[in-house]
Amino acid sequence: MNDAVLTATGLTKTYVSGDRRIAVLRGVDLVVAPGESVAIRGESGSGKSTLLNLFSGLDAPDSGAIQWGAEPPAAARRAAYLGMVFQSFYLIPELDALQNVLMAARMIRPPGGGERARARDLLARVGLGERSGHLPAQLSGGERQRVAVARALMNSPRLLLADEPTGNLDEHTGDAVVELLLTLGRETGTALVLVTHNAAHAAKANRSLFLHDGVLR
Amino acid sequence: MPWFLYLALKQLFPTGRKFPFFTAISMLGVALGVAVLVIVTSVMGGFGYEIRRMIVQTEGEVQVKGRGLIEDVGGLLATVRGTPGVAGATPYVEGPVGILAANRPAFPLMKGIDVSSVGTVANLSRFVRRGSLDDLDDDSVILSWETAQQLGASVGSRIAIYSPLLFEKLNQDEVFLPRQFRVAGWFEIGHQHLDNSLVFCTLRTAQDLYGLGQSVHGLNVRLQPGVDEITGATRLNQVLPNGVAALPWTQKWESFLWVLNLEKTINFFLLLFIVIIAAFSVMSSLLISVVRKTREIGLLGALGASRRDVALCFCAQAFIIGTAGTAVGLGLGFTALAFRKEIVRGIASALQRQDTLRQFYQFTELPSHTLMSDLILTVVMAIVISTLAGLLPAWRAARLKPVEALRSE
Ligand SMILES: Nc1ncnc2c1ncn2[C@@H]1O[C@H](COP(=O)(O)OP(=O)(O)O)[C@@H](O)[C@H]1O
Ligand SMILES: [Mg+2]
Repeated sequence: MNDAVLTATGLTKTYVSGDRRIAVLRGVDLVVAPGESVAIRGESGSGKSTLLNLFSGLDAPDSGAIQWGAEPPAAARRAAYLGMVFQSFYLIPELDALQNVLMAARMIRPPGGGERARARDLLARVGLGERSGHLPAQLSGGERQRVAVARALMNSPRLLLADEPTGNLDEHTGDAVVELLLTLGRETGTALVLVTHNAAHAAKANRSLFLHDGVLR
Repeated sequence: MPWFLYLALKQLFPTGRKFPFFTAISMLGVALGVAVLVIVTSVMGGFGYEIRRMIVQTEGEVQVKGRGLIEDVGGLLATVRGTPGVAGATPYVEGPVGILAANRPAFPLMKGIDVSSVGTVANLSRFVRRGSLDDLDDDSVILSWETAQQLGASVGSRIAIYSPLLFEKLNQDEVFLPRQFRVAGWFEIGHQHLDNSLVFCTLRTAQDLYGLGQSVHGLNVRLQPGVDEITGATRLNQVLPNGVAALPWTQKWESFLWVLNLEKTINFFLLLFIVIIAAFSVMSSLLISVVRKTREIGLLGALGASRRDVALCFCAQAFIIGTAGTAVGLGLGFTALAFRKEIVRGIASALQRQDTLRQFYQFTELPSHTLMSDLILTVVMAIVISTLAGLLPAWRAARLKPVEALRSE
């Protein structure tokens, strides 16, 4: 069991706004094996983002437990253990593509030649080898998302969490980004949890699950 | 370089973009404050420095005074001059007198100087504007500019001096006639405090007017270069006979120097408010930046940044603005000081007020003397205050929860 990249057991989360209580998650269990890809689908507002935030340790569940490998999530381990891709790309506008990718490495230590070479390599892999010096404002939506993918993979994480990474992209570009996530994940042995609305994208994952009424099926 | 420092620099000076407006404005505020502080403390320091120099140049660094009169002047002079570190010594007599010139009265302080030895201590001729110190004899006096004005006297005028001895004699029913003198010149030391009301005469004249015989009130002592007044006074006190003591000039003028310093300190703290206001602008710009960059701050959390490092990223921006602004301010300040004569002349001639300027500021040229301690205080205060301005934005940024920051669309 301990060789699982992610183990979630009995996760519940309830939001209280005013006198309304929304029980978003009502007992989610999930085990992700190394290198495995898991797609999660669900209606808008069903709690997919909430769930990913629990997986990433950015938010805490009301009850239940999460483990990254053998240990619970810890902020100090996040940079090395996790890569994250979001629907909005969240690139830092003041930094060019290369520096945005290197930002992930900086969280661990000031990057040296090795990190630089890896960042360039990743940018080349996502098809932006020629654009590494461009600022986000000079890139299209699909290109920005590919920079975000390269950034998520920069520290060779064990687990990649992608929250609707194609939500802001046109169909063709979206297909390419998902393809990249799956292939790069497979090549590097990184496990992937992919939240998506797109049935075709979900079908490409090893497993496809559905979040409904607060449980994963 | 840790990531927060790198990002702080990049947010202030983004790749491939011109010098950003916000950075420029924030820095300029700090720079102006620092420049004004440097200029004002230097000019006030200059006034202070000049005044100190004048005091020393008119009466030496150390005064030797007896509890009563000093009778064995020759012996004391020999002792003082023989003390290591002493460059020269001259006896003096001083006290108030009454002067009448064509029915206009004045009551200045009279100082009798020994013409033959005063040159070894003071450089009085430097301050004599009309006439000459060499013309000073037992029948003449040199007036300060203000006293001369008061008396309406000019070089060659005749004046009568009444000594306080007059009252003593009157009590004994004797008549003591005033003595007639010729005005040999007038001098201007350059500071109101020193020029107000002073008259120089020869030692013998003063001794006569005060009925002292051969005695004097004290000695002015000049030290060799490199010997400070405290050391000099201490050395002298070890060899001086009982009842005679050496006093460093800083002690004699203590209250005056204290007031000078107080003026400077008050000015410093008032002007520091420019830096404080500039710091508020740094703070508000950074607060805006925190709001604008909410989602990026959330992303940093998702990338694994600790709250402390996120806070440091904004503190670092304030620190960088403060440091760079201070550097620019020092440049501006010293440039303005280097061109101060031109600037003052320009302002005065634009306002047609050269004469007024000369009349009210005791120095013909704007002095400047920058003390290292003032400079360090200015730099440290400016950087510390600017950095403090980053604390509130830093706290706001660190308080953002990544989950909520990322949700804010
Ligand atoms: N911080 C919050 N406070 C209150 N309600 C929230 C909060 N975050 C999410 N929700 C609610 O929880 C539900 C699930 O949200 P989310 O996880 O973003 O859904 P999904 O990503 O599947 O669209 C939604 O109804 C949303 O309004
Ligand atoms: Mg969502």
